[in-house]
Amino acid sequence: MISIVGEVVKLIFWLFCAPFLIGVLFNFILPKEKKSLGVTFLLGVLIYLACFEVIAIYCMTTIMYSAFAYCVKYFLILAWILIALGIARAFYALYVKKDRSLIFNTEALGELKKQAKLETKIYWLIFFALVIFQLVMALVMASFDGDDAYYVVESLLAQQADVMNTILPYTGNSTSLDIRHALAVITMWIGFIAKVSGVHATIVSHSVIPLLFIPLVYLVYVEIGKALLKSRQDMVPVFMIIVSFLMMFGNVSHYTPATFFLMRTWQGKAMVGNLVFPLIFWIFLEMYGSVRGSNNEEPASVDKTAAKRGYLWIMLALVNMLSGMCSAMGVIFGTGLIALLTLLLLVFSRNFKVIIGAALSVVPNLVYLALYFSIWTSGM
Amino acid sequence: MYGIFMECFVALKLYGGNGVLLLMFVAAALFITFCEKDIKKKIVLGILPLVILVGFLFPVTKIVYVALFDDGSDTYYRILWLIPMYIVIGYGACKALMGIKREAVRRGIFALMVLVIAVTGSFVYANQYMSVAENLYHIPQNIIDICDVIAPDEGEPRVRAAFPSELVHFVRQYNTNILMPYGREMVVTQWDYYNAVYEVMEKPEVIDAKALLEATRQTKCHYIVLSDSRKINGNLSEMGLTVVENMHGYTIYSDPEVQ
Repeated sequence: MISIVGEVVKLIFWLFCAPFLIGVLFNFILPKEKKSLGVTFLLGVLIYLACFEVIAIYCMTTIMYSAFAYCVKYFLILAWILIALGIARAFYALYVKKDRSLIFNTEALGELKKQAKLETKIYWLIFFALVIFQLVMALVMASFDGDDAYYVVESLLAQQADVMNTILPYTGNSTSLDIRHALAVITMWIGFIAKVSGVHATIVSHSVIPLLFIPLVYLVYVEIGKALLKSRQDMVPVFMIIVSFLMMFGNVSHYTPATFFLMRTWQGKAMVGNLVFPLIFWIFLEMYGSVRGSNNEEPASVDKTAAKRGYLWIMLALVNMLSGMCSAMGVIFGTGLIALLTLLLLVFSRNFKVIIGAALSVVPNLVYLALYFSIWTSGM
Repeated sequence: MYGIFMECFVALKLYGGNGVLLLMFVAAALFITFCEKDIKKKIVLGILPLVILVGFLFPVTKIVYVALFDDGSDTYYRILWLIPMYIVIGYGACKALMGIKREAVRRGIFALMVLVIAVTGSFVYANQYMSVAENLYHIPQNIIDICDVIAPDEGEPRVRAAFPSELVHFVRQYNTNILMPYGREMVVTQWDYYNAVYEVMEKPEVIDAKALLEATRQTKCHYIVLSDSRKINGNLSEMGLTVVENMHGYTIYSDPEVQ
């Protein structure tokens, strides 16, 4: 019993607390109005996963034996440094400066709570009930998908054999690095969570990861709702109820993002379709919203709003890293989507600097593809 | 070109299932295009998604996609993921609701919208591939029980076992110390690989016991797991194998000749 409690505590720490504290450390890049708990957590998750991606790819491509053990060791060192600094920053803001606004903006939430009508509150309750229902179903219902014989076993091999994509998951025979899937190290991150928590990687994949990613996806949709319904925030829960119904009843075929979201939540391609692409949309919606003329109440100059977009380009670069971590497909699709949305941003803002921002944000994609093709051609 | 267009169209139809989701999306996108006053939202959530949809149906897009990706024909539908379908439908619905002045009517229409999504959609938890989880691993309990019998203890060398094709997906999701002569790659018919053990164990209606033993010994299988429902033209026990256990409709044989 004690060991189960310990495992649960470790899971909560590495899935929720660690990314949150990393978010606290870096949320100084966010403008005041975005320093909410949700966006801070989102930022933390992106940085946390980006750090893991860099270390995992480095270990996988340079270390021959027990590569995963080194990956876990190096990432633990980095993660603990960032977590400690995050705690220190929170301590400094809360106890030394005694100014909570240095790390969080809770005013907006408080005002929203005060202003919210009973009807809006009921809609929020319905939405939260729908999310809780989906989380419970993620635990009590099992879905069959053949691809798990590959992805889930890769995570389990990392946990049980300390290897990183060098054993054939289907049979257990040794193989060279399978470049088609190797750079999508989300399987290794699941292996990491399994290793540090002591929980079997298959349990982590099927029963634990959905508990993080389902709320995370909805968090992104909440931010999208807020960006779209700026003047009618009371409609955000209505938007969220519709989205969650579309997810739950979206299994009209095997191919929809909704099917992937609730039946294969732990797979990289499901994360690309349901987390990465909506994140890209959210970031661009924020950018469009910051451009003068989108809203009559926003008289800021173009230059000022361009400067305010800096954090969004950083987040976009991190989203691109997450994309590569999930699937090589995500890198190519994501770059195309960013090109398309940047073109619109260029038209809306008439500011050529956005091209520089977009170009810098896709640098991780270019590095990823360069690595992909160099490993592919070298036949590693 | 027309043929490729039809392929794209069929992919879209398969993606949309009964078509109501696509219909809702097109209706929402058109509604946003014509009724939204904010030019940016009009373009991003109205026109752009429709342009991507048209681009998906454009044959050249598929030609380029298939040339770029190895499995392009199978994964072409993923271009549709670039369309923010749920955002468009959600925002279109909110926009329509915001236009209704009377609160009671608005609430009624909202409830109706949600009902339409539920009735015309397909509940993900009712999918044929969904079932009540037997454990936290979310793999069948019979696999776990069988694997627990044959799995090596800590520090012992790994073992290789031949499993019936209906079990191969799950074995190594539970324990990677159990190797297999063939796995999921043989079950996916379109991949069309060859495997000697699979050929004799899974393909014939009646298993040739001698051929099976020969194949499993060549691939150093310590165990053979056979379904009790399979017919076999010999007795494996009489051919030197030991019955370890019979459980969940499967017999586990161990081969003492394989070290």
